[in-house]
Amino acid sequence: MSISQMNFFQRIIYLLQTYWMSYLKGAGTTLVIAIISTFIGCLIGFAVGIIQTIPVDKKRDSAPKRALLKVVKIILKAYVEIFRGTPMIVQAVFIYYGAAQVFNIQFGMWSAAFFVVSINTGAYMAESVRGGIISVDPGQMEGAKAIGMTHFQAMLYVIIPQAFRNIIPQIGNNFIINIKDTSVLSIISIVDLFFVHKSVAGALYTYFESATIVMVIYLIMTLVSSRLLLLWEKKLDGDENFELADAMDVGTQFGQDIRGR
Amino acid sequence: MMKDEKNILEVSHLVKSFGSHEVLKDIDFTVKKGDVISIIGASGSGKSTMLRCINLLETPTGGSIYYHGDDITDPKMSVSTYREKVGMVFQSFNLFNNLSVLDNCMIGPEKVAKKDKKTAKDLSMQFLVKVGMEQYINAKPRQLSGGQKQRVAIARALAMEPEILLFDELTSALDPQMVGEVLNVMSTLAEEGMTMLIVTHEMAFARDISSHVIFMADGVIEEEGTSGQIFGNPQKEKTREFLSRFRNL
Repeated sequence: MSISQMNFFQRIIYLLQTYWMSYLKGAGTTLVIAIISTFIGCLIGFAVGIIQTIPVDKKRDSAPKRALLKVVKIILKAYVEIFRGTPMIVQAVFIYYGAAQVFNIQFGMWSAAFFVVSINTGAYMAESVRGGIISVDPGQMEGAKAIGMTHFQAMLYVIIPQAFRNIIPQIGNNFIINIKDTSVLSIISIVDLFFVHKSVAGALYTYFESATIVMVIYLIMTLVSSRLLLLWEKKLDGDENFELADAMDVGTQFGQDIRGR
Repeated sequence: MMKDEKNILEVSHLVKSFGSHEVLKDIDFTVKKGDVISIIGASGSGKSTMLRCINLLETPTGGSIYYHGDDITDPKMSVSTYREKVGMVFQSFNLFNNLSVLDNCMIGPEKVAKKDKKTAKDLSMQFLVKVGMEQYINAKPRQLSGGQKQRVAIARALAMEPEILLFDELTSALDPQMVGEVLNVMSTLAEEGMTMLIVTHEMAFARDISSHVIFMADGVIEEEGTSGQIFGNPQKEKTREFLSRFRNL
């Protein structure tokens, strides 16, 4: 039976039987780019967000230090605005083709792909991290300062862990966006799930059927991801209950020298 | 001001303004080792601002604060090193929400004072026993009542082995039942000779516990003296008027 005589379901089965390996590889590529780029993007986002929230003490910080911090903050702000404010598909073309022509930097298509998605995620995450940090109760910072912590220590032990918990939904959001948005990378010949779809559909004129398959695969990837992210959040929140420590044990260990004072 | 070996803190001509609003006007007083000083006065009189200036959570607009003779308002002084020795406990507890009760107490000695883990844990347990919270070491702050949180916050401050403790209206956010348990802990500390500066609205407690009382009104120290002088025989009209509102003293 030739493909033109098949009905919709027969075509889908035919496509899956013939091209399942290509679809799977495409989905794998999509996932790898999304996972690695989201991870690198988060690192960038945290670095930028943390620097953006460094306070300036006019009395105690030296003038060169304040000037340097100000310049760095302006550069980072520009980075965030530029990469949030332009489409990723244009950035991909700009970097892959433009960098080679103008600056004579030849990106491989893979490094260009990771670079574009990471730097994009970083720009979005930077604002989420900054928001996460400033939304932590100011009392937490005061409590940390009151026992002698420096700004850096307070961030490391108290503020970032709490901000991180609040940012997880944003990380999940970005990851899901990245799973979908890697499809624009087919413009620089990355063989992701969408590229596989274009090839298969173009060869057999089965646009609708192939698109159906690809839609379902994207949906499975995003649904499983959001499920896993929810589980991660739950795990980080810890148990609702806690165990009382054994009073006798604690008492005999530490009670003596206290009551003896 | 005279240099005195026993003086831990000397506050000299302290001024604090927020914009054009002057909250503290020329504050002077001294804290000696073992002093238990209560700071009383109406809301808005500048009590809490003064305490926060002493711990440099607010930057003083003018004047100096000498700690063992060194002016800590000097930009060259390390604020964090100073704060290790001048602990503070807050009305809103400010326990670290991401850490257990034990870790809240241990993190200061371990990460700030750089003690080894065992020493930090022993110190923390010692003070958690003192405030009666040793059973709750595994709990997170959100699982505790207000009074319990405040007792842990006191243990956390004590674990840094500070020279002075600043208490900023510890009981104002607590219901009457819990006020007692926190005041008991503070009384014990006072009896043991801890140097304390206490901002409070609990007049009976201030009268009984303090070696010295400061009455503040409109950003100035209106009157100060021993507990007996201020509560028994106040000289200024404003002091009398303020204290007359507390009938059962």
